[in-house]
Amino acid sequence: MILQVENLCKSFTQKKVLNGISFCANSGKALGLLGRNGAGKTTTIRILMNVLPKDDGKILIDGKPIDYKSITFGYLPEERGLYPKKTVKEQLIYFAELKGVDKKEAEKSLDYWLKRLDAFEYKDKRLDTLSKGNQQKIQLITAIIHNPQIVILDEPFSGLDPVNAMLFKDVVKEQINMGKIVLFSSHQMNYIEEFCDDIVILNGGKNVLSGNLAQIKHSYRRDKLVVSSGEVNKILQAYENATQISSSEVMIKLKDEADKKAIMVKLSNEFDIDQIKVYEPSLNDIFVEFA
Amino acid sequence: MKQFFTIFKFELKSYLKNKVFMGVTIFLIAVLAVVILLLPTIISLVKPDTSTAQSGVMGVCYADESLSETVTPALQNALTEYKIVVDDGDRKEIKDKVLSGEYDCAIYLTDLLTYDYYVNDLSLYDQNTMIIDAVLTKIYQLNAMVSGGISPGEAGDIMSATPNANVVTLGKDHSKNFMYTFIMIFALYMVILLYGQLVATNVANEKSSRAMEVLVTSAKPTNMMFGKVFASCTAGLIQLLSIFLSAIIFYNLNKSAWGDNQLIQSFFNIPIDLLGYMVLYFLLGFLIYAFMYGAVGSTANKLEDINTSVMPITFLFIICFFITMFSMQGDQIDSLLMKIASYVPFTSPMAMFTRIAMSNVMWYEILISVLILVGTVVGIGYLSAKIYRVGVLLYGTKIKMTKVLKMIFKKDNN
Repeated sequence: MILQVENLCKSFTQKKVLNGISFCANSGKALGLLGRNGAGKTTTIRILMNVLPKDDGKILIDGKPIDYKSITFGYLPEERGLYPKKTVKEQLIYFAELKGVDKKEAEKSLDYWLKRLDAFEYKDKRLDTLSKGNQQKIQLITAIIHNPQIVILDEPFSGLDPVNAMLFKDVVKEQINMGKIVLFSSHQMNYIEEFCDDIVILNGGKNVLSGNLAQIKHSYRRDKLVVSSGEVNKILQAYENATQISSSEVMIKLKDEADKKAIMVKLSNEFDIDQIKVYEPSLNDIFVEFA
Repeated sequence: MKQFFTIFKFELKSYLKNKVFMGVTIFLIAVLAVVILLLPTIISLVKPDTSTAQSGVMGVCYADESLSETVTPALQNALTEYKIVVDDGDRKEIKDKVLSGEYDCAIYLTDLLTYDYYVNDLSLYDQNTMIIDAVLTKIYQLNAMVSGGISPGEAGDIMSATPNANVVTLGKDHSKNFMYTFIMIFALYMVILLYGQLVATNVANEKSSRAMEVLVTSAKPTNMMFGKVFASCTAGLIQLLSIFLSAIIFYNLNKSAWGDNQLIQSFFNIPIDLLGYMVLYFLLGFLIYAFMYGAVGSTANKLEDINTSVMPITFLFIICFFITMFSMQGDQIDSLLMKIASYVPFTSPMAMFTRIAMSNVMWYEILISVLILVGTVVGIGYLSAKIYRVGVLLYGTKIKMTKVLKMIFKKDNN
């Protein structure tokens, strides 16, 4: 299944919030939706889920306009919140039933997910008696209890301890491997790099960068070398265009990309080298550059 | 439709499980049980037997002592709650006795048509002079007739003759239906106001707890709005009916103790068709207001905002209530104002219901008012669902209704 968003536009009263957003997401892969606060991520997600009407643009599934009756969404919003005074069971069954799951099936699915996320003991507890991490687990279950085709996760890992983060990661990976389309929005770039093959960066209601993350990284000029060595000082003296980036690493900017191989050989002959690699920008660097 | 029932079931269960809801219902039923089952017994225990009890002493002093023979027994017959004591003293003495408390009150009778009434503090409800006037007038007239040649027996017959009036009510008897109409209008007022506010609080609660973020992506706004409003309407109806039904059951259990108390009897003799109209107008009136309350609730940022945001709706409703109440009390049921009010959808649930209960309304008038109401309910329902859809996702600055409406109509143009 392929989800295509083409030229999405939206304005609220006078203000234009989305100005031609386009991206493409494939099943079995995660798409990272990036952007600074107010870039238009949440509005895009809401239009995608048919909560807000779009002013212009297309949303297509396998080339045809999306049919909201047949496509199911699961959503973990950035602003968490459920019914604090109701029990975990009561509200999870309610949300599953709202999505069209029948009660028996919802109960089965509920037990599975509560066990899977190590939260079965809270089944009959009121939500407001649970810790923040456990409440987050319940919120995640509301997003996937009905086995949706498209899963949208907005900052799924914020506020989680490392053990719970591992649990969540496993679930997200499982959802991707099940062949679902996963849209992932986060400011924690390490998670995006871990899960997402493709990214789209929004800025001021436009997408400023989109595509395969590895290809994007590869498309940057390959004219910098990162050298790990115990003789950092000697290298700095020998190469005037070298800058220290850590106690054991220097970066050498090449005048010409073609010199890459020769300089690598030269460096390994002259110094005690641990590792030489061509510099690739991190997602963080790309984000800062574009967002 | 399935989604609507899921929401309806969930919301109704929340009401029925709510401790305040259950507590208030049980409390009101308990109060009714005490009042209806025990009150007559308590009253009869507390209230002294008026046929023999004489709670006060009235001194009577005659300037012409020959009057005492006819006037004293007549006064004693008319003023049963007083012991009539004939005083031989003068004006000053009886005045002193009233001041000292020996007499509760006293009269100094100069002649049959002139007397002074002495009392310490004149109560608002003191009717003694009226009774004394009547007694003295009657004796004066009897005396006049006897001295004119009519025998005392004939004179007595003439004086006691009263016309045999037979009231045939062709329309409705206001003295009988006032009470239950009043109680029903008041119940309508209380339930709509309380449950309407609950709908608004409920929506604002979901918004402020951010449960709304997931809800709007899971359910259609029309289903959400209609599910919520119908659930609170059902909860209100359940409460109202359980209170009314238990009152009827308690009354029937204790019917004999209430005897022929006109007020109570008139209340429990509500015609069945009127109960039907009450349920109909309750449903329609409730829906109009609950939808408006729900829409306003969706525009509130915090729970605290609710009180001020719902004020215009509450005022509108209170005005409607007072129009009906004043018309009822002033016996102006069919005034032009009430006639207009019985077609305006915001006032008709109360105004038309009152007119049906207390006046003669043609069937087509009822039909027109119900049709207008149904149309308005549907219209306001859909509009409020649209406001809800836009309102629930707006956070931050204070949300103006005009802005929300602009957004809705802009959306509709697309």
